[in-house]
Amino acid sequence: MLRQSLLKITATLLPLLFAAGLATAQDSTTAPLTDTSAPAPAPSAPAGGDNFKSLDEEVQALKKEVLDLNRELFVLEEELLFPANTQVAVFVSMDVGEFFALDSVTLKLDNKEVANYLYTEREAQALLRGGVHRVFIGNLKAGEHELIALFTGQGPNQRDYRRGATIKLEKGVGAKYVELKISDKAVKAQPEFIVKEWE
Amino acid sequence: MPRFALLALLLLGPAVCVPATQLVGQPAPDFALRSWDGANMRLSEHSGEVVLINFWATWCGPCRQEMPLLDEIYGKYRRAGLVLFSVNLDEETNVDAAREMAKTLRVSYPVLFDARKEVSRAYQASTMPLTVLIDREGVVRYISEGYKAGYETRYTEKLRELLNE
Repeated sequence: MLRQSLLKITATLLPLLFAAGLATAQDSTTAPLTDTSAPAPAPSAPAGGDNFKSLDEEVQALKKEVLDLNRELFVLEEELLFPANTQVAVFVSMDVGEFFALDSVTLKLDNKEVANYLYTEREAQALLRGGVHRVFIGNLKAGEHELIALFTGQGPNQRDYRRGATIKLEKGVGAKYVELKISDKAVKAQPEFIVKEWE
Repeated sequence: MPRFALLALLLLGPAVCVPATQLVGQPAPDFALRSWDGANMRLSEHSGEVVLINFWATWCGPCRQEMPLLDEIYGKYRRAGLVLFSVNLDEETNVDAAREMAKTLRVSYPVLFDARKEVSRAYQASTMPLTVLIDREGVVRYISEGYKAGYETRYTEKLRELLNE
C-alpha cells in the first residue's frame, strides 16, 4: 500500500518535472532573440542540448531514487507483516538421483491449510537443478506447533508418488526456517521428505 | 416498501457485488491450475504473450455458445502469440461432466479446473461466462461479462490491438 502510494506520487510528479524542464528549455532558447545588447547569439542547439541532458540526468536520478525507495519499502513491508520474532518460513528443495516430477506440495500448520502449491514443469525442472522454493511464510506464536507436509509427483515409469511428513515445530524467539527436502537417497528410488531446520 | 428495498439495493449493491471490470488496468492475479491433460499451468509463465482467460461452467448456457467461437479465435491467433486458458468452475464432483462438455464442443485450447474457486474469486467471476484479456505486460486490459451473439467480434478487435502492441 505504501509502495503503491509512492509510485502514484512519482507518476504525478514526473510529468510536472518534464513540463518544467521543457519550459526552462524554451525560455533559454527564446531569450537570445529578445536580448539585443548581447553579441551575435550563440546557436541555441548546444544550450538546448545541455538542458535536455541535465533533465535526462534528473529523470534518471529520480528513477534510481524510486527504485531504491521501492526496495526499502519491500523490506519494511516484510518486516512489518512477518516480524523476525514470529516469522516462520518453509522451503522446498529436491535432491533426487532418479527422475522425479514434483506435482504439488500442501502444508498444514496446526491443522489449518496454509499452502497448496502446484508446480509447473518449468518450476519442477528448476527444483531438480538445485533451486529452492519458499512455499510458505507466516507468523507463529512461541511454543509447540505441528506442520504436516504432503507432496505428490511422478517418478520413473510414470509411477505416482504421494508422501507426507508430520513435523513438530518448537517455535522460540527468532525466525524459524524449515527446509523440506525431497530426497531418494535414504530409500533408493523412493522419494521421501527430509526435514531440516536452518539455524 | 418496494422503494425501501430499491434504496437498500442501490446503497448495498455495490458493496456486495464487486464488478470484475474493476480489475481493468490492474496486474492480473497470478495463478496455477491443473489442466485436463494433467499438466499444471501458471499464468505468469506466459508473460510476454497475450492471454485470454475464459471462465465457464457446465450449467452455463451462453458458455456453450461461446466456447466454439473462442476455439475459432484461438485457432486463428495462436501462432500470433495468443494463449487461451479456459477455466472451469464446476465442483470437484462434476469435473467429469466438464471434461465431457469440452470434448463434445471439440475445443483445442487448454481447459483448467478451479474446483477450489480460488482463481474465480481473484478475478471476481460472479457472472458466467467471464472473458478476460491480459496484455504482454501482465495487465488486465479488457473484461466481458456474459455472452451475446456478436461479443466475439469485440474480443477479436481487442485481441488484435493487444497483439499489435
